[in-house]
Amino acid sequence: MPFAIGLLSVLAIACALSSLVTQGQAYNWYVSKYGERTAAVIIALHADDAYHSGWFLALTGFLCLNLIGCSLVRLPGLIRRFRRMGDPDAMGEPTATEEGINKPESVFETLRMPSPTARKNGEGREELYSAKNRIGLWGAWICHIGILMLILGFALGQWTGKQETVYGVPGQTKLLGDTGLAVTIRDFTVSLREDDTVEQYTADITVTEQDTGRSEDAWISVNNPAKRFGWTFYQNSTGYASRVRVLKDGKDLQEEILCVGESLAVADKPDLIIHFQAFYPDYVMADSGPATRSGQMNHPAWLYLVAYQGQVLGMNALMEGEELTIDEYTVLFDQPRNYTLISAKRDLFTPLALAGGLVTMLGLMLALYVRPASLKAVKDGEAWTVYGRCEKGGVLFAEALRDAADAERKGKPEGKGEQGT
Amino acid sequence: MIQTENVLFTIVMVGYFAAMILYFVFAATRKETLWKAAFGIQAGCLILHTAALVIRGIGAGRLPMTNQYEFATCFAWALCLVSLIFIHKYRFPALGIGAAPVIFLIIGYAAMQSREVRELMPALRSNWLAFHVSTAIISYGAFGVSFAVGIMFLLREKLKEGSYWDQHIPSLQKLDQIGYRSVSLGLLFLTFTILTGAIWAERAWGSYWSWDPKETWSLVTWIIYMVYLHLRLRRGWKGKAAAMFAVIGFICVIFTYIGVNTFLPGVHSYA
Repeated sequence: MPFAIGLLSVLAIACALSSLVTQGQAYNWYVSKYGERTAAVIIALHADDAYHSGWFLALTGFLCLNLIGCSLVRLPGLIRRFRRMGDPDAMGEPTATEEGINKPESVFETLRMPSPTARKNGEGREELYSAKNRIGLWGAWICHIGILMLILGFALGQWTGKQETVYGVPGQTKLLGDTGLAVTIRDFTVSLREDDTVEQYTADITVTEQDTGRSEDAWISVNNPAKRFGWTFYQNSTGYASRVRVLKDGKDLQEEILCVGESLAVADKPDLIIHFQAFYPDYVMADSGPATRSGQMNHPAWLYLVAYQGQVLGMNALMEGEELTIDEYTVLFDQPRNYTLISAKRDLFTPLALAGGLVTMLGLMLALYVRPASLKAVKDGEAWTVYGRCEKGGVLFAEALRDAADAERKGKPEGKGEQGT
Repeated sequence: MIQTENVLFTIVMVGYFAAMILYFVFAATRKETLWKAAFGIQAGCLILHTAALVIRGIGAGRLPMTNQYEFATCFAWALCLVSLIFIHKYRFPALGIGAAPVIFLIIGYAAMQSREVRELMPALRSNWLAFHVSTAIISYGAFGVSFAVGIMFLLREKLKEGSYWDQHIPSLQKLDQIGYRSVSLGLLFLTFTILTGAIWAERAWGSYWSWDPKETWSLVTWIIYMVYLHLRLRRGWKGKAAAMFAVIGFICVIFTYIGVNTFLPGVHSYA
């Protein structure tokens, strides 16, 4: 137990501290944000990717070992306690005792105990006994197993799972990494409300298995993924794309669809790069720089950057119909549209993690809300003495027993106080 | 409709403030009628608060739980509801002395947020929203009550046995149990919150756990209360230590709610 408490505390501190460090950035980023010395410490401790670092995995491993050890060690005792609860002779130290009861059955009833079984005890005295909620004894154990399943499912998913992304505009077909699948984007819709806010992104795709040529269509939108060929496809995000045409001496040289952030190398002069920096559908020059007034294509503008042999030649915005001229080359941006980014995931262990979560939930419910209790009434002369034992929440159970006993002594069938213990 | 909600919200805020003052005056003067009046005002405010939330929900055409204002006002509502249930169930009127200031602070925080009704972004348009956020609200409300019980425990320790407060504040042993039960309620619902959030994230983004700051701090809070449960099984850790742990746990809850949104933005930045 002390080890588990210490381990949980260290894990909580590790998670909390790691959340304060932006994850997954490059060394230079940390230097610019925190300074050289702190950045060096962050990199040395792998705090830049804390949740996948060796020390974090070791902590999680120790937690798993602790959970396994705890579950194994406690199992025999738990089985014994579970069996013992059904045996009146093995009831153990009572939590509370009430004397001078005339009708013990009403106390059993008030405390919502099952109908007691009557017998004569070893001393030949009449005895009533019943126990309830024995399953509650298993709560913590089940919870431990659930957490173990959850960690195992997550770890195996991280280890064996695969995730790929593709992006493009309607009409394009892209390979989904090295999965042997190709995704054709047939249509992509951004549904806008009257106030110009986005209601939904919907993509109509076809997934083709390259080996067999088999195809399956799917509609995906945010919160509505689709499963095809063992992969789950998600409508992940969107952005702007545009057609970019390059003319040389007035004649078409090349044409490509570029998404924001992508670059084009001029076909016959590969050192000349056109980078599509940003797109503004309703362009306005604000104090803070270029911006868009709305999502409507009222006044489109393309922000570009031109580089030659790694040197930036210039950066500017082009309005609709404007051209960019670099020596004999003319660059035109037009046909702006939304592209869709689709992610695909294959993780065979997600169901295990989900089952682990549900088992944890079940264990917690049993541990926290199903309170095992046993009640024994022994005839002591004319009156009865009632012994109650509750495995959890003894004070409140004792109070409920006292209330039930008081009610019985006063001749009322039901007492006040907590009945469901 | 939104104007009606604004009026009700203002009445409710004033009502919670009045209940808090009455509880304080009750603590100072020990007049029985005061806590009864405070309890009555709180119960009345809870009804009006419910009406305000329903009106906002109808006006917005969705559950009113999706931005800082809505979550804060729901949090105050849940805290009020759970505290009234605990006061009634455990015959513990003085719990209001600890709970009412927290309710007022949370509703005060809500009042500082924008009350504008906004349409939901696509990721929030999910049936899981109702399960995820409503369980979070109940969980936070229950942890708020455990905080109040912890404070009452620490105060009760300073009072002599046989004093006036014996009839209004349960024994230390019983307080410890009440605190445990409120933590149990909170922990169960927090687990449900994390679980439903994970299922939702899996459907929306294809990743049920991505170490987003809010996720991470929910896990930290969950671990803290797990430590609380384990510590209680050890000799000498019930009572005062447990009460202090419940107080610390709630501070962590508040950081998860407000601190993370303010300092560590992630996919939960809107909540």
